[in-house]
Amino acid sequence: MSGGEVLLQQLIIGLSNGMIIALIALGYTMVYGIIELINFAHGDLFMLGCFCALTLVGALGLDRMAVGVGLAVMLVVTPLFCGGLNWLVDRLAYRHLRESTKLAPLVSAIGVSFVFMNFGLFWGGLPMKVFGMGKAAAAPKDFPLLVSNENLFGGSAVQFTAKDLMVIGVTLPLMIALTWFVKQTRAGKAMRAVAQDRVAAQLMGIDVNRVIGQTFLIGGALAGVASVVSALYNNSIYFQMGYRAGIDAFTAAVLGGIGSLPGAVLGGLFIGFARAFCDQYLATRWTNVMVFAILILVLVFRPSGLLGAKHGEKV
Amino acid sequence: MNRLHRLRFHWTFLAVIALIPLVETVFPHQRHLGELLRPIFIMAILGLGLNILTGFTGILNLGVAAFMAVGAYSYAILTCDIYPFQLGFWGATGLTILIGLTVGLLLGLPTIRLRGDYLAIVTLGFGEIVQDVLKNLDTITKGTQGINPLPAPTFFGYQFRPDRYQPWYYLFLAFVALIVLLNRNLQRSRVGRAWISIREDELASACVGINTMKMKLIAFSLGAAQCSLAGALWTSFLGSSGEPGNYDFQISVMAVCIVIVGGMGNIGGVLLGALVVSGFNSIVLENLTNFLKAHELISTTSVLTVPGNWKYLLFGLALILMMRFRPEGLLPSRQTKAELHPASERDSPA
Amino acid sequence: MNILEINNLTVRFGGLTAVNAVNLSLPPHQITSLIGPNGAGKTTVFNAITGIHEPVAGRIVFNGAEARRPFRSTTAIALTFIAIIAGVSLALAANIQSLWETAVTAHYQYRQAFPWRDVCASVVAYFADNPVARFVWPFLVGALLGGGAAFVVWQRSRRAPEIAARAGVARTFQNIRLFNQMTALDNVLLGMDRQLRSRFWHDALRLPLFWRERREAAQRAMDGLRFIGLAKEAHQLAENLSYGHQRRLEIARALAMDPQLLLLDEPAAGMNPAETRALMELIRKIREHGVTILLIEHDMRVVMGISERIAVLDHGEKIAEGTPKEVCYDARVIEAYLGKSHEDVPTT
Repeated sequence: MSGGEVLLQQLIIGLSNGMIIALIALGYTMVYGIIELINFAHGDLFMLGCFCALTLVGALGLDRMAVGVGLAVMLVVTPLFCGGLNWLVDRLAYRHLRESTKLAPLVSAIGVSFVFMNFGLFWGGLPMKVFGMGKAAAAPKDFPLLVSNENLFGGSAVQFTAKDLMVIGVTLPLMIALTWFVKQTRAGKAMRAVAQDRVAAQLMGIDVNRVIGQTFLIGGALAGVASVVSALYNNSIYFQMGYRAGIDAFTAAVLGGIGSLPGAVLGGLFIGFARAFCDQYLATRWTNVMVFAILILVLVFRPSGLLGAKHGEKV
Repeated sequence: MNRLHRLRFHWTFLAVIALIPLVETVFPHQRHLGELLRPIFIMAILGLGLNILTGFTGILNLGVAAFMAVGAYSYAILTCDIYPFQLGFWGATGLTILIGLTVGLLLGLPTIRLRGDYLAIVTLGFGEIVQDVLKNLDTITKGTQGINPLPAPTFFGYQFRPDRYQPWYYLFLAFVALIVLLNRNLQRSRVGRAWISIREDELASACVGINTMKMKLIAFSLGAAQCSLAGALWTSFLGSSGEPGNYDFQISVMAVCIVIVGGMGNIGGVLLGALVVSGFNSIVLENLTNFLKAHELISTTSVLTVPGNWKYLLFGLALILMMRFRPEGLLPSRQTKAELHPASERDSPA
Repeated sequence: MNILEINNLTVRFGGLTAVNAVNLSLPPHQITSLIGPNGAGKTTVFNAITGIHEPVAGRIVFNGAEARRPFRSTTAIALTFIAIIAGVSLALAANIQSLWETAVTAHYQYRQAFPWRDVCASVVAYFADNPVARFVWPFLVGALLGGGAAFVVWQRSRRAPEIAARAGVARTFQNIRLFNQMTALDNVLLGMDRQLRSRFWHDALRLPLFWRERREAAQRAMDGLRFIGLAKEAHQLAENLSYGHQRRLEIARALAMDPQLLLLDEPAAGMNPAETRALMELIRKIREHGVTILLIEHDMRVVMGISERIAVLDHGEKIAEGTPKEVCYDARVIEAYLGKSHEDVPTT
């Protein structure tokens, strides 16, 4: 492959991975925007979504059906699962800590993250064929090749596979729908209101706890979609993958400006490209370090991110 | 009276712990409790280091394992005879503390101005990349092999040996006592007062003239140095640096659990937390596993029967439940308890 | 020389201009009041003076010097130094494995003396071998990033609240911000913190200076509490004090800073007439000790009773300034407080 072709290939890889990271980052940024909590458990929620998708494949035999059917089933059930779980966690763990110090919800989120991780471990031990009959619960699981690796560019050196098409085909309309939802619908406007000024929103008659719950639901659903897409793209899941995904997504959200939805997408794409380029032109083993370096640089030079607004403290 | 009681807790606690090996020589046992307590000492030092950051100053550090790794590998490189330094226990430990201090300073300088939750994620990320860096620089760190073997410490001519645990026990205990003394001195002094004021109300603290960034940086570096010390001690005992993967998120979260469960800001609480959390991890879980193995209750196909697999769940639940019902910890410091339960909920004497 | 000179101060939050081109001069040893309807920008002015908000325009000059960290030659030297260190560190880090190999692995032989001098020579040789790729590039990147980061951090910290405190400005807050779970004595000790000399090592190792200073500081703190009338409550937790005592404690803490300028933000809020009178006495006493006072207040008894000068803000702009008598008859002031339709002039 010529230099130009390599570059183009990395752009494609970066695009697909970036869109997945962007989806996860969107969930992060929505929750942060509304209650100023970094939901540490978000990455692990993503991981659980992957396990849910694999369970669906195994239980319903989705690998034997048409791709479209399998995709549709997973894209309906998994986001519902993740969104519901996220909503539940808010209801049980975070709601009581709304007025508490900054530390308490943070530590609770860490606790939830750990609980999720353990769920993933147990889930991997399920006596199903897709999970290896529960023999090695902690080992990575293969995700069947539902969407093929077939190169849509024919025989060219640059590969744009059906997988890449799927990623774009799912994430792009979803992001457009999300933008429409936040800007045009009442629920979306309520979310923005609560994010800007919680007390004022309450005075306007908005049920703040319900709006926050809805945000968790939607944020979780986004993670659910991301998990399906990621599992289909990478064909491998394991119970500690949430950690890495979470840090990448957080870096993306911060890079774009936390609280800003277009920022999360921008940040996600940036990180996706950065990872692809680093993998190709530097060395894969340094990619994580590079992402961390990006995070530090952003936080030092432009902490509000590319598209974010500055916060101030009211005295 | 209450203050008196809490004042003495950590000293009584340490005194009791000090007596255990003596008791054991009188009543010999198959499994020495003293041996099992050693990792608890290390976790106690780790927890005390985190306590300076979180308990006193209010900064959450989720990557203390990284500093422990830095300390472990520094000590290993400085003492192992495959490298020219070969400093011996005391020199290497001293230098390791300085290295930990420097690394803490390096990480802290660009990031200490960040809001609490951002800083928490940065420390989380740091925890992971230190592992990566240590693995990647394998000409120096020997990658996943680890650096070994390491010579045992000598103390005025006496050579520590791996088979007799008592000298190790007292060495670690001495370090713990020293750290407790240091932290206690700092807590009840100008520095400690400034730290606690930062945790209570950082803006007011700055307006009163306290250089909040400098104080936070001191806390950060000191915490890092202590965690590096824990790593060095652990490595010296193991005789090997272990592999980078050993210093992972599990250790960081255990440290957080120790501080949260034990009592943020209370040194005695942290010691108790170390006993409870680390003790649970190394003693209870291990014995349960052995028991189940002996009675053949562990099956390879059922992930639920291996007690070790429940670790994450239990730690996570501990954190969630503590935050929900007793956020000040088992042995609260006066400040934290009042902070987390607003005055309207309690009886106020005035 | 005026203690405080505010020229053309403008503070914006997003699209809202909270303070617009305000000028204010405070001669020493004077009690000045800053009044105006709610939302006029009074507390924002305080926040700008104490470095909490960064103004978009204007200068705040305190005793002839601007209340921000100056860019001195030492700053430039420090920044260059940091840049160089960062550059060298990155150059070393980028090559660390190869360096280790040439320096340590190549020279070290098991259980033999280590040839330190040869090592230095080989390190230099390593870099000389391919200076541009191995040294120059990483050095430049490191220096740029390190120096840039240091500069950005320095720039952002130029107007930190500590700077104003160090310059001699102390303040109280509209919503009391005491260190609630510390005793009254500890609160005052924190106010005195800047004047204490014991450092980390004195505290950690309990050196003699620590013990000596602890005694002296406690005595001075008790004096401060006595001055404000809270000596009996010294060991009470701040949050357990009555509201009036809490307000006084906040003032005591501010006074412990030994300030030249004291900013009081609504100190009489929530006080009954007796407490208000005591407060006015206290403020006068403080002024007699040589402290200049700038006061935000809504209680007109206090404002008219103790102010020598009054400045009036409305919607972020200064609409009047003068003696109490002048201000209370000013048409614009009346309009700001009461609206256009009222004819009656209030007399205090």
